[in-house]
Amino acid sequence: MEKEKHKILVVDDELDMRVYISTVLETSGYRAVVTKNGKEGVETAVKINPDLIVLDVMMPGEGGVLMYRTLKTDPKLKKIPVVMLSAVKKEIFFHYLKMLNVKMENNISEPEAYLEKPPDHEDLLKVIKILLK
Amino acid sequence: MCDQILLVDDEEGICKILSISLQDSGYEVFTACSGEDALEIYFKKKPPIVLTDIKMPGMDGIELLRRIKQENPETEVIMITGHGDMNLAIKSLKHEATDFVTKPINDDVLEIALKRAKERILMRRQLREYTENLERLVEEKTRKLLDAERMAAVGETVSGLAHAIKNIAGSLKGGVFVLDKGLELDNKQYLREGWRMVKGNVDKIRNLSMDLLNYGKSTEIRCQISDPNQPPQEVFKLIEPQAKEHGIILEAKLDPNLEPFLFDSEGIYRCVLTICSNALDSFRAASLMTENGDPIERMKEEKRVVIESRKTENWAVEYRISDTGAGMTEKVRDKIFQSFFSTKGAEGTGIGLMMAQKIIKQHHGSIEVESELGKGATFIIRLPKNPNPL
Repeated sequence: MEKEKHKILVVDDELDMRVYISTVLETSGYRAVVTKNGKEGVETAVKINPDLIVLDVMMPGEGGVLMYRTLKTDPKLKKIPVVMLSAVKKEIFFHYLKMLNVKMENNISEPEAYLEKPPDHEDLLKVIKILLK
Repeated sequence: MCDQILLVDDEEGICKILSISLQDSGYEVFTACSGEDALEIYFKKKPPIVLTDIKMPGMDGIELLRRIKQENPETEVIMITGHGDMNLAIKSLKHEATDFVTKPINDDVLEIALKRAKERILMRRQLREYTENLERLVEEKTRKLLDAERMAAVGETVSGLAHAIKNIAGSLKGGVFVLDKGLELDNKQYLREGWRMVKGNVDKIRNLSMDLLNYGKSTEIRCQISDPNQPPQEVFKLIEPQAKEHGIILEAKLDPNLEPFLFDSEGIYRCVLTICSNALDSFRAASLMTENGDPIERMKEEKRVVIESRKTENWAVEYRISDTGAGMTEKVRDKIFQSFFSTKGAEGTGIGLMMAQKIIKQHHGSIEVESELGKGATFIIRLPKNPNPL
């Protein structure tokens, strides 16, 4: 029997990005599930318990960041590795996360990987491969 | 300038002697022997200093003082009083005489009085110069600040543009990847999706460059006597199929009695098209979400866009473009005319409405928006009969 495919949840508000990333994943032997905002993203994560999440942090409003915070403060979901995609530089994003931490009881851990948008498909696959080992 | 004196005394002898002594001291002296004469000379010569006797037949010195101060409060008027005219002297001071000297006139006393008068004139002049300098300085600084702001706007524009292009390039790359995979795996769906992405992003970059070109043009508007219903009619024809495809009722209510007038038909066409395209976009799923991804409840279920033209008081035409779409918050409403502000994410360039506002401004017209979140939006453009009011 073929080994079951890894499930990867893709959360991005832009249709083009969703299609691109899911194509990258599907053609490399993963199963991609796409959602277009943070709210749906969390709901789907709870439902399908993915092996990894590719999350666009720059969705309108605080969508991506809020979803990330929800993920990392949920005892069940926090173990799922997250590949963060963003148009902003990594340092800026971590600064933003730090600002958020101020209000938090438990510190939010850093995402397992961080890629600038648009991600190169080879970089993305490399990172995913490492995280799913 | 400082050195002209009008000397007024009904006693000719005093007048003569004083004028000789003043001329010796370097003044140019005009003399008058009555209040009436004095006033006449005063109006003609506008001397900065007036030296006048208080007691004169006809118009006395006090009245002369009052009239001169009325004409120009800055004139220095020195009163000449006889002994025992203390009351008059005080009265003259109340009417803002600079000083008074008593008869018989002591040259030293007169000199001091004149010196004080001259100092006051000089001080006033300096004060005025300072004020003017200050105003000039403020003006200069303001201009520099405005320039700096403009530069900042250019910087913002460039970085906004770079961001927009990076986004499109990213999506194009994604499209090419999906297309490649479609070819490689002979997968029809990938081919379709990839092709759609490439096409869509090519359109986007074309629109962006067109917008930029138009923005760069930004020269004078070209006005011709035209039918004000022509631009909305053309827009209507252009976007009707698109509206139909998305189940939007598009309606034109154009006033047939509008008279042709002078305006830039092409420019107004662009404005109306921008607003109408936005109106259609406001029904899209992405537009019907708040920043946090919550759905926006629309007041009316019906999808309708109305383009209206009509006559209003003081304006040649008023266009109203209203939709029953997503509407916008006050925060968004305040920003929609800014460059590179867009609510459409990667879809919008943030140039359209800024351009529209520019065109309307060049017509000396007005553009306004009425909107609330979930209650649709109405854009109102008004154009004057004459785009060049001067």
